[in-house]
Amino acid sequence: MDDFISLEHIVKVYPPSVLAVDDVSVGFRRGEIHSIVGENGAGKSTLMKLLYGLVPYDSGVVKIDGAPMHFRKPGDAIAMGIGMVHQEIELIPQYTVWENVVLGAEPVRGPGGVLDTKRAIELVRRKIEEFQFHLDPSAQVERISVAARQKVEILKLLYRNVSVLILDEPTAVLTPQEIPQLFAELKRLREAGTTILFISHRLDEVLELSDRITVMRKGKKIATVAASETNKEALAQMMVGRQVIFTSKRTPHRRGDRVFEAKNLCVTRRDGLKLLDDVSFSVHAGEIVGIAGVEGNGQFELVNSIMGLTAPNSGSIAVNGREICGLSILERRKLISFVPQDRAKMGASLAASILDNAIMTHHRLEPRFAAWRGLVLNYRNARAFTDSLVQRFSVQTTSSQSPFRSLSGGNQQKLILGRELLLSTPFFLMDQPTRGLDVGSIEYVHGEILAMREADRAVLLISADLEELFLIADRILVMHRGQIVADLATERTSIEEVGRYMLEGKKTA
Amino acid sequence: MNIVVGLITGMIAGATPILLAALGGMLTFYAGIFNIAMEGMMLMAAFAAVLGSFVFHSWVIGLLFAVAGAMILALIFIFFSVTLDTDEFVTGIALNLFAVGSTTYLLRQIFKVKGVFTSKLIDSIPNIRIPLVEKIPLLGPVVSGRNLIVYLAVVATIFCYYLVFKTRFGLRLRAAGYNANSLDSSGVRTSRMRIQSLLLCAVFCGLAGAFLSLGYVTLFAENMTAGRGWISLAAIILVDGHPYGIALISLLFGFFDGLGLFLQSYGVSSQFTSMVPYIATLGALYVYARRNRERERKAL
Amino acid sequence: MTRKILSGVLGVVIAFLVGALIMLLEGYEPLATYGALAQFSLGGIGPFATTLKNSVPLVLTGLSAAIAFASGPVNLGQPGQLVFGALAATLGGLYFSLPPALEIPLLLLLAIAGGALWSALAGLLRQAFGMSEFIVTLMLNMIADFFTAWAIAYPFMDRKAFSPMTPPIAQSGWMPDIGPLSSSVLLMFAAVAAMWFVVQRWRAGYEWRITGQNSLFARLGGCDVRGNFMAVMLVTGALAGLAGGLVVMAGPHRFIKGLGANYAWDGIMIAIMANNGLLETLIYGVFVAAIQTGALGMELITNVPSEIAQVLQAILVLVIVATREYAAVAFDRLAARRQARRRAP
Repeated sequence: MDDFISLEHIVKVYPPSVLAVDDVSVGFRRGEIHSIVGENGAGKSTLMKLLYGLVPYDSGVVKIDGAPMHFRKPGDAIAMGIGMVHQEIELIPQYTVWENVVLGAEPVRGPGGVLDTKRAIELVRRKIEEFQFHLDPSAQVERISVAARQKVEILKLLYRNVSVLILDEPTAVLTPQEIPQLFAELKRLREAGTTILFISHRLDEVLELSDRITVMRKGKKIATVAASETNKEALAQMMVGRQVIFTSKRTPHRRGDRVFEAKNLCVTRRDGLKLLDDVSFSVHAGEIVGIAGVEGNGQFELVNSIMGLTAPNSGSIAVNGREICGLSILERRKLISFVPQDRAKMGASLAASILDNAIMTHHRLEPRFAAWRGLVLNYRNARAFTDSLVQRFSVQTTSSQSPFRSLSGGNQQKLILGRELLLSTPFFLMDQPTRGLDVGSIEYVHGEILAMREADRAVLLISADLEELFLIADRILVMHRGQIVADLATERTSIEEVGRYMLEGKKTA
Repeated sequence: MNIVVGLITGMIAGATPILLAALGGMLTFYAGIFNIAMEGMMLMAAFAAVLGSFVFHSWVIGLLFAVAGAMILALIFIFFSVTLDTDEFVTGIALNLFAVGSTTYLLRQIFKVKGVFTSKLIDSIPNIRIPLVEKIPLLGPVVSGRNLIVYLAVVATIFCYYLVFKTRFGLRLRAAGYNANSLDSSGVRTSRMRIQSLLLCAVFCGLAGAFLSLGYVTLFAENMTAGRGWISLAAIILVDGHPYGIALISLLFGFFDGLGLFLQSYGVSSQFTSMVPYIATLGALYVYARRNRERERKAL
Repeated sequence: MTRKILSGVLGVVIAFLVGALIMLLEGYEPLATYGALAQFSLGGIGPFATTLKNSVPLVLTGLSAAIAFASGPVNLGQPGQLVFGALAATLGGLYFSLPPALEIPLLLLLAIAGGALWSALAGLLRQAFGMSEFIVTLMLNMIADFFTAWAIAYPFMDRKAFSPMTPPIAQSGWMPDIGPLSSSVLLMFAAVAAMWFVVQRWRAGYEWRITGQNSLFARLGGCDVRGNFMAVMLVTGALAGLAGGLVVMAGPHRFIKGLGANYAWDGIMIAIMANNGLLETLIYGVFVAAIQTGALGMELITNVPSEIAQVLQAILVLVIVATREYAAVAFDRLAARRQARRRAP
């Protein structure tokens, strides 16, 4: 079978010197589901963005039906029938479904370019029915679920009659129960003749869905194989370059006294919606408690309440028996270490030096950083501290004066993790600490978290990755619509059971 | 009775330049540009209007010059902030300074004066009398006999509303501000929407500037915009960019502007009456901030 | 570092080329004009001393803007804070007549207090009601302008003068000259050094910097974000006020009409050119002062009106910033292309 789209010797360097795609050649056939797998940073998204005309490439050729093409903007690709759904869903939340779908290809009447609203809604409705998407064209996008938003993105491309659909990690935002539905829709599209390029790093999904699979590692293509002729272990080895163990690294450990306790915590919006609804739980010393749940079910409010960014309407939070609601953030930081989910927004200043990032919070709590009664910072001690932090957590860098942004994602996370670990606090709050990291860094972070458990610190781990929770958590709490609907010991539960709680809340039976 | 009519006409005259500049700024606001160059565009336009009208003895040419003057600044803005991707705030501040500097320089260079230039040869923009309406008591003298630009401003407000909310252009314009990536991947270049919004902004600021120097008074004075561009920016922010809201806020400022002049006739010194619009802006900002805080509390 | 200097120099060169182009269009000799400009600002001890003296308010307001922008608060109120500082120092000089060793520090303190008071108002409105300091300081500028205009036209007017101005301040409050150099210049250098120490070495300075870069991170890290905001507003207002006081005490020795207008936006502009760096602010401040000082002399020997300095300044800001930002991207792109060429088969 001839390749419908072929990429030949593609090279892409992100300025100034990140080699994202390194001489990759790969072909896609008409009407197949072709998965691109690889770790974070392997270059799979970049490769697809190049094909879509979103990112310019430095050398190589893109051919469609044998003819060389050069897409300079997404509009060019769309005109050739190639569309892409991005990892972060890029819709306009303030617009309705139909407005998002027709944007850029709007039906108008008259010479003035006045929108033909009625016709637009009708066109969108027809597309929805054609593909059985169950959407309301007039619903506002910010009010629909994440799974529905994804459908809108796909619909937007189908409205433009694309024959090639690129999906960048579409399952990352879905619950276990929503994924089969998406796969059914994708298979239906394939039957209708659409070519689907599917980016993922979840191997089970890829094996279930694809016809063929291309593996990438560090910007290079490793191989293209038929899904029927490979298995998970073989793919993982190609992805990572060595053997990967899929079993838990937890060793039995006795839990100690209660360190953290939330009691009847409530956060209510003015309109009465309960974002946190009577949440009570505790974390003991030497214990890792995981919180599972679809994003937006109260995790954000829980983190903000613990850290002091929002004041809960009622309830209490105590660490080591001390009530912390009402304390300043600085007072809380004497008890709580915190690794936030968004490094760039909450965990670091990208523009500042590594040193400036390393001493945050320590600069207030550690007497050796203060001189002149705390007026002046002791930079000599700060430098020594940073150097030891960099060494202890093997952060790859040339100088503590380099800007933080010059570090790779994994090294940034190591530095933040190290900074928080070295605060001598009893309680550790981690919000998605491995998001966006490569396998090596994830293993490192997991190792450090388990070491904290050995050191009898209490860890609360919020994660959207169920596999991660099953790998290291002792207990898993499930959040659903602001409530904790399940408290499960990891040994006595399954991913399926947790997934059911995430989607449906409390068991009705 | 005359006092009321006087206050209202004063209010309308004070509101017009702010309204026009704010409508222009609103279009760039929706396109996602932090545009603070309205002040400079207006000042440049006011100067160009006087220049055109003085040389050709025609207010029509003056008006064209005004739009061209503002357009020059818009083109520089586009070159730096859209093409070279320079910070918008910096570009805006530099352009405002450029407008002050170059109008002062040109005033000296072309008209050989410092401070103020006026001449009998400058043709001002006419007031329009509406035949039947002007006979209506009370309403007549308010609605009829206003400057041409005032009527243009009213039309512009309605035009802007339809442009932003009812047309394809508007849908794409707002998309550029809400989520530029989304618009780009829909096949429409965000930079094109931004360029178009800046050019339109220049047209509106051109009208505003022409009104200042050929309508409100017939002269050009150094820095005669006196912060009106900043007030128009505040107006946009205060109503989150809704054209009718902008009209309302502009009238409010116009009222305080007129009130200042009115108080002056009662012996309050001019320095204090001149402060009134700026204090009013602070007041409006207070109300806005309070409302915002409440909304935030609600959202949480 | 070298890249920073290179792009700065490149920006200045391009800006001067654009300026030369404008002069050519206007029918002037660019070389002769620039020559005169340099001669009257840098050609000898006398002109250079004048340039340095004129740079005092520019550098101090620039410092004020640079510290504010780098720490978060968008304090655009330097013009208002400057005239308030100037007014406070003037009033002090009208009512007190102490020996110089007491009078000068007193007037300087009054100037600092005057500027800080005016910026504190904006800071309080932000803290108490959440009103954005960006527009508030702009409005306060206009109000300060009218208020001081009133003060010198009515209650504190010099009845013998032809235009609104106050009587001269006590002579003991005049900043003395040290040889050809005004002592205000020494104060300026001291202020730059002190501010550098605060920002680079104080704990508060560390928190200001981090807050300016990412305030949520600073807040979660335990920094006193609210307190720092107010502190920065006060310090930057004080710097602008000091600038105003020195203008009066080293210059006309009284508050004359339009005193603030000359420095209105210059400080903000200089901070922007300097990318909020303190040392860079000093360099660009002196540079802009040289252009302004030279322009007055230039007008005498060439026909070019001194107002062209204002045009040149605006071009400088735009071109320097655009060059800096564009050069950073261009350097990176160049490096990327070179690497890609090596990888391509």
